[in-house]
Order: sequence, then structure tokens, then C-alpha cells
Amino acid sequence: MAKRVVTQAVKQIICLCMVVIVLAPILLTLFASLKTKTDMAVTSPLSPPGLSNITFENYKEVLTNKYLLLGFKNTGIILVVSLFFNVIFGTITAFIIERFEFFGKKVIVALFFVGMLIPTFVTEIARFRLINSIHLYNTLGAPIIIYVASDLMQLYIYRQFISGLSVSLDEAALIDGCSYFRLFYTIIFPLLAPATATVCIIKAITIINDMYIPYLYMPKNKLRTLTTFLMDYANAQQGSWQTLAAGIIVIMIPTILIYIFFQKYILAGIASGAVKE
Amino acid sequence: MNRLNKKRKQFIFVSLIIPVTLLVAFVVFPAVDLFRMSFTNWDGYSPESRFIWFENYVSMFQNKDLWLSLRNNAVYFFVHLLMIIVELAFAVLLTSKLRAAKFYKTMVFLPYIINGVAIAYAFSYFFSPINGAFDAILSAAHLENLIRNWLSDEKIVNFVLSFVSLWRFSGYHVILFMAALQSIPQDIMEAAEVDGANTWQLFRYIQIPAIMLMVDFVLFDNIRGALQVFDIPFVMTAGGPGYASSTFTLYTIKTAFTFSNFGLAATMAVAMMFLIILVYVVQNKIIHGIILKDRRNENG
Repeated sequence: MAKRVVTQAVKQIICLCMVVIVLAPILLTLFASLKTKTDMAVTSPLSPPGLSNITFENYKEVLTNKYLLLGFKNTGIILVVSLFFNVIFGTITAFIIERFEFFGKKVIVALFFVGMLIPTFVTEIARFRLINSIHLYNTLGAPIIIYVASDLMQLYIYRQFISGLSVSLDEAALIDGCSYFRLFYTIIFPLLAPATATVCIIKAITIINDMYIPYLYMPKNKLRTLTTFLMDYANAQQGSWQTLAAGIIVIMIPTILIYIFFQKYILAGIASGAVKE
Repeated sequence: MNRLNKKRKQFIFVSLIIPVTLLVAFVVFPAVDLFRMSFTNWDGYSPESRFIWFENYVSMFQNKDLWLSLRNNAVYFFVHLLMIIVELAFAVLLTSKLRAAKFYKTMVFLPYIINGVAIAYAFSYFFSPINGAFDAILSAAHLENLIRNWLSDEKIVNFVLSFVSLWRFSGYHVILFMAALQSIPQDIMEAAEVDGANTWQLFRYIQIPAIMLMVDFVLFDNIRGALQVFDIPFVMTAGGPGYASSTFTLYTIKTAFTFSNFGLAATMAVAMMFLIILVYVVQNKIIHGIILKDRRNENG
């Protein structure tokens, strides 16, 4: 019995150390964001601000920045449009690959697989020319079309989910004279709702957090996303850690909220997307 | 039947035409175009470019800064490789009998979903020479003589950045290992326990063999990730001082978008693609093959 108690205590201590390491950089940034400039100079970065010294000025400064608002708006538009097409194309592609045999299927499956293997960052060197030539540079269309065309993790999640659905349903519907399109949209698509939730949540986090595509394709001020806004904001603060800290916290909040509310879907989806080859 | 067949073909064609076109246009075509560009001296904006055979390939191999960058990638690779043991241990710990396991699972994955740019700035603050929390921790522990310029000392900057990378990505592997461990049928574990197997024996003879495919995937993910390190050094040091914390991807992007040498950058991108596919093939054919063969032998 005593041995079991000791084991549990040791486990708890190890886990608590992990929690401290995970939370430390976030909490320390939070502390700084609530301090005044003079407070920053006289207090240790490890100590929270005194209750009477707490200031919200740093937050006020970030939240009244008009580019933050634009960032929210742009990120929102990119998110909604990209997710919409990802779900439409993802469900129907996965459905056809899982349920039909047809000429050229092997080639198409291979193409999608190669698409997942191609390294992301360096491919932009060639894609940049293409995006330029179709006049999408410096428009919201650039990130949208790239997210829709190139991020393919939804196929794994949908294919796995569809392979678990009974085929007899399709057959019954087809015998009843239902067209393939109606079969898909009225029967299959609604059944995929749990997988769609997973796809949307994981992709939303990826898109909100992405720095590279918006940075590369949308240098225009008006096209700031949440992440590229933070980069500009950081450059403008020039070592004023307390104001930058407030910016960092504000940008962290959306994905943390998504994580808190939809954790179950995220953890399930991450694992199922990884190893199904 | 024939009419149904025609309708079927129609459905497949109409549904796949857009996604496949997008894939070909924005993923496959650029990848192929990289090969073509790697033989030219294109600068990123001129309408004209000249075919220069293997000049870019020669200058890539002679580029010292690129080799230095690739060496920095190796630092990330080895640091993350060592961490896989810890990640595995944590996965075993979190799937064992543990109070508040759910809370710890939430915590372990939290860094992975946090905005990478935001956390890079948070760590810039953490390691900053002015008001930096890390220096304050060292001072509190009376280790002042260990204080360094964490982000501008060439000798340690890559290790500091690798630590940030560990902080951010380790939880992903823990979650993957946990999923694999949880897929082991509970009765096998219980039967072994009844037979008197201890924790180590359970781990060595049941858990490890059962999750080899996941270990395999994590190793591949580690190589792919280490080769593609980009945003942490990009935000925290911009590859500096000099090229001390540059990485292969960072250097490639700089070559294209800062030095306007798209031809050379495309050559580097081709090299990167070649490396990743090589690793994939080696791993898939050799390591994968060995694991599956072992498994068949055990069963047979």
C-alpha cells in the first residue's frame, strides 16, 4: 500500500514539474503585461505585479490599435472561406476515394499523397511566381487558395471516418433511385459531422497560427492577420516588454479558447491524422 | 446498368475536377517548377531568365553559410531525438494509473496549439538580457556566473532555440504515443500483470512492440520537422548573429526573397525535397520492413 502511495506521489511531482515548464513562459508574460513601465524596472520578472499596482494600460494600447481589429477581420474571412472549401472538397474527395473504383484512381491517390510529402516552406519559391501571375499577390485570395489546395490533412480524417460507415446505406439509397449527389449531400455529408468538427477545429488553429503565408503574400498593412499584426506590433515596441507582453497575450487567447472548449475533438483528430497509411 | 454507370462516372468527374485541379496547379506544378527553376538564374521579377545548367548546384555545394545552416538543423534533430525517450516516458506515465491524468494531458498538449509567433516573442522576453526571467531564475539560485547572452552567443543560441522548439512540439509526440498505447487491448496488459510482470517488463515486452509503428512515424516526423525548422529562429533571431542560428529553410527563403536569387533558392528547395523523400523511402522500405517482419516472425 505504502509503495503505491509513494509511486503516485512521485508521478504527481513529475507531472507538476511539466505543468510548471508549460505555464512558466505564459504566466511570466502575463505578469509583465500587467505592470507599468516603472514597475518593470523595479520588480523581478518572476514576481507578479502588486495588487494595487496592476495596470490595464498595456492592454488598452493593443486593443485600440486599429490594425488589431483588421487582423481579427482578415483572419476571420480567411478562416471561414478556407474551412468552407476544405470541408466541401475534403468530404467529397474522401468519399469517392473510399467508395468507388475508377480509371486513374491510383494516380489521384498518389498525387494527394505526394502533396502531403512536399515540404511546405520551400515550395513557396515556385508558388510565389504562380500566385503573382494570377494576380492574387497582396489579396486575401492568396492564403485562401493555398490553404484550400495544399493543406490535405482532412483527407486522412475523412477517409478513416468513411471507412467506418456501412456501405449498405449507400446501396439502399441508390436502389431507391436516389442520385449520387443526393446520396452524398443528404445521407453521407450529415453523417460526417463529427469528423467535420474535428477538421474545422484543427484547421482553424493551424490557420490562425500561421505566420508564413500571410507574411509572404500579404505585405500590405490593410491585410494584417492576427499573427502578422503581432510581428508588426513587436517591431514597433522596441524593447518595451510590458506593451509587447499584452500583445502576445491577446494573440494567444483565440486558440487557447478553442482548445479549452473543443479539446476532445482536437486530441482525437491529431492522433487519427498521424498514422493511417 | 449502363445508365447508372454513366451517372456514376459523371458524379466522380464533377466532384473531383476542382480539388484535383487545385492540387495539381498549386502543389504538384510548383514542385515540378522548382526543378526547372533550379537550372536558371531567375531573379524573382524579370520576365527573362537564362538556362545555366548545373551552376546553381555547384554553388549550393560550395556555399559555406548553407552548410552552417544545415549543421544547425542537426542540433534541432539531435535535441528532439533525445527528447523522444522523455516523450515516451510521459506517454506511459499519463496512460498509467494517475490522478488528474486528464488535466495533465490537456497541459502537455497546450504549447502545440498556442500561436507560434506569440510564444517565440514570449521566449525572447524570457531569455532577454534586460528584465529576462531566465537570468532572474539563475540569480535567485546564485548561479549568476552561468548568465550568457542566450540569443546572441553563437555557441549556445541554437540550443536555446532548440529548447523553445522542444517546449512547443514535444506535446504532439506525447499525444501520439498515448493514442498508440491506449489502443493496446487492456486484457493483455492485465493478463501480464497477473502473471507477475513488472512495469518495466510490461513496457519492454508489450507496450514497445505494440507501438513500434508510431515510434516509426515520430522518427520520420522528427527528421522532417528538424529539416524544416523556420519560424522559431525567424522570429527570435532572424538567423543571427550572422548565420549562427540560420537553418536550411531560413537560408533558402532568404536567398529567394532577400537576395532575389530564385534560381539558387529553387536548387536548395529541390535538395530539401530530395532529402525528405530519401528519408521517407529509407524509413519506409528498411525500418518499416524490419518491424513488420519481426512481427510476422513472432506471430508465425
